[in-house]
Amino acid sequence: MAFHLDTDKLVDLDRAVRSIEDGALVALGGGLSARLPMALVRELIRQGRSGLHVVGSAHSIDVDVLIATGTVTVCEESYVGFEQDLGLAPAYRRAAETGTIEVRESCCVTILTQLRAAEFGLPFLPVRGVKGSDIRRLHPEYREVVCPFTGETLVAVPPLRPDVALIHAPLGDRRGNLHLDQPYVLDERFAAASRNVIATVERVGSAEEVAAAGVTIPAHLVSAVAEVPYGAHPASCYPAYAYDRAHLGEYVRAATAGGSELAEYLDRYLTGQPTEEAYRKLVGADRLAALGQWSESIDAWKELFR
Amino acid sequence: MSARAKSNEQCFSIDEWFVVALARTIRDREVVFHGFGSPCAQVAMHVARHSHARDMMLVEGATYSINPEPPFIPPTGNDLALEQGASYRMRFEEFFDAAIRGDVDRMFLSGGQIDRYGNTNVTAVGPLERPKVKLGGGGGGCNLAATIGHLSLWTTRHRSGRTLVEHCDFITDMGHRTPAGSRAELGFAGGGPEWLVTELGVFDFDDGGQARLRQLFPDVSVDTVRAATGFEVQVASDLRSVPLPSSAEIAALRAVDPLGVRRSEFAPEELRRTFSHGQSVGCAC
Repeated sequence: MAFHLDTDKLVDLDRAVRSIEDGALVALGGGLSARLPMALVRELIRQGRSGLHVVGSAHSIDVDVLIATGTVTVCEESYVGFEQDLGLAPAYRRAAETGTIEVRESCCVTILTQLRAAEFGLPFLPVRGVKGSDIRRLHPEYREVVCPFTGETLVAVPPLRPDVALIHAPLGDRRGNLHLDQPYVLDERFAAASRNVIATVERVGSAEEVAAAGVTIPAHLVSAVAEVPYGAHPASCYPAYAYDRAHLGEYVRAATAGGSELAEYLDRYLTGQPTEEAYRKLVGADRLAALGQWSESIDAWKELFR
Repeated sequence: MSARAKSNEQCFSIDEWFVVALARTIRDREVVFHGFGSPCAQVAMHVARHSHARDMMLVEGATYSINPEPPFIPPTGNDLALEQGASYRMRFEEFFDAAIRGDVDRMFLSGGQIDRYGNTNVTAVGPLERPKVKLGGGGGGCNLAATIGHLSLWTTRHRSGRTLVEHCDFITDMGHRTPAGSRAELGFAGGGPEWLVTELGVFDFDDGGQARLRQLFPDVSVDTVRAATGFEVQVASDLRSVPLPSSAEIAALRAVDPLGVRRSEFAPEELRRTFSHGQSVGCAC
């Protein structure tokens, strides 16, 4: 976890993603349908990466589309799905049911504890729960430890040190300082525990501007930054835009159908679009602009979610 | 208030009554949390805070914001709408640390399967190696269920016959007892499930940690509950009807959930169940 001291880490998306190797342990930032690192996910798919081991808290289309394209071998998220609104994650579900990925479902608290062990440079940390839950069956690496002070038996979990954390931020500078809006979810912990952080930002600003907005993730933790407007789409990246519920619906329908319908979606939005610029053009400037209109009025905001 | 508006408030549907029943599991001055993907629990917390539990501390499930006044409940749990008017926004770790050390009084939990001890399965139906249905997963539940003061469980799919089961195929979040032991034996400080609210009725848990039917919705019989339940149904000696929602509770609910996201948890045929204060069943509105 050596600090990253280069003074200029601004690269294009292609180069940022090229450093991620097949089989890497990848932490995905953001959560549910908010601030997901979708441009990085799309570029991983364009570059044909495979064998990834993904880890995170509660996620949706980022993990599901990586699974749909055969990019993932091991999934260690605490949840993958589209909540009550759009339901189960179709590709995740299919891959788990047919055994084409290894499901190591975990728990937000356990992941947090494992990241802290990595941050502290410790060989393990204990968690109080997990006992009595079958989640333990998915993790033969867990052990038990007896507290030397109280005699209590606790579950011991090893450190989690991702090879790379993928994070999307509304604002950052060339050095890699990132400003995020809350909720940060696990992004701060991922940044500190991972060997590398590859970030996309809606906009690159001056060091002064980022400092004034507030640095959430400092440059010394970040290895590369790429400027990608709408880099979280179809997830939200407030204050710039709300999530694109209709697009998520389109994906879930295609992924549920599978076969040619899914192939068509993947070709249309991912493999068929060589760059993010092409992707934005396909989604449409009007549509993207509409997602930014949430702030005009409560009615406009509500209307986006109908 | 116009006559029509008044009459609308006297009529309500099962999703509304259900959410109010959930809200009433919250006591005033409790610190309460819901998981994501839980619109009924989410709406219930806001209803409680605007009716009988005005001094509760409401922690939103995926933004960790405290006591927000959202202009509406959006269909996703991590949205800026759920931070509007919040007095504070916790970090992820700030909330989970508080929950693990025992500073959170209540959490809402559901499951694709729920057994008599209130164990819940949100991981997989069928054998783990080759599941019939891979569910979304448990989020933070398998640690939180150990230490949070009380759990309010709920399901809107009791009638399906597949939800309240003899044994969960997989226990994601522990209730009162699993094959590994009881909560006391495992050293868990949290009290475990206190209530289980379904679209058919309300259960509490007896001293042995087993679910017991306490209340029924008026259009449901004990036989219907038995037929839909995979474990033997214990019925409380003082079984009664679920208390009616107040007009204030219904008004609070409609104000906070104008998009009706709570309804996404119900089968379409359930949503046809409507009630009124006057006659309690069979409202024509």
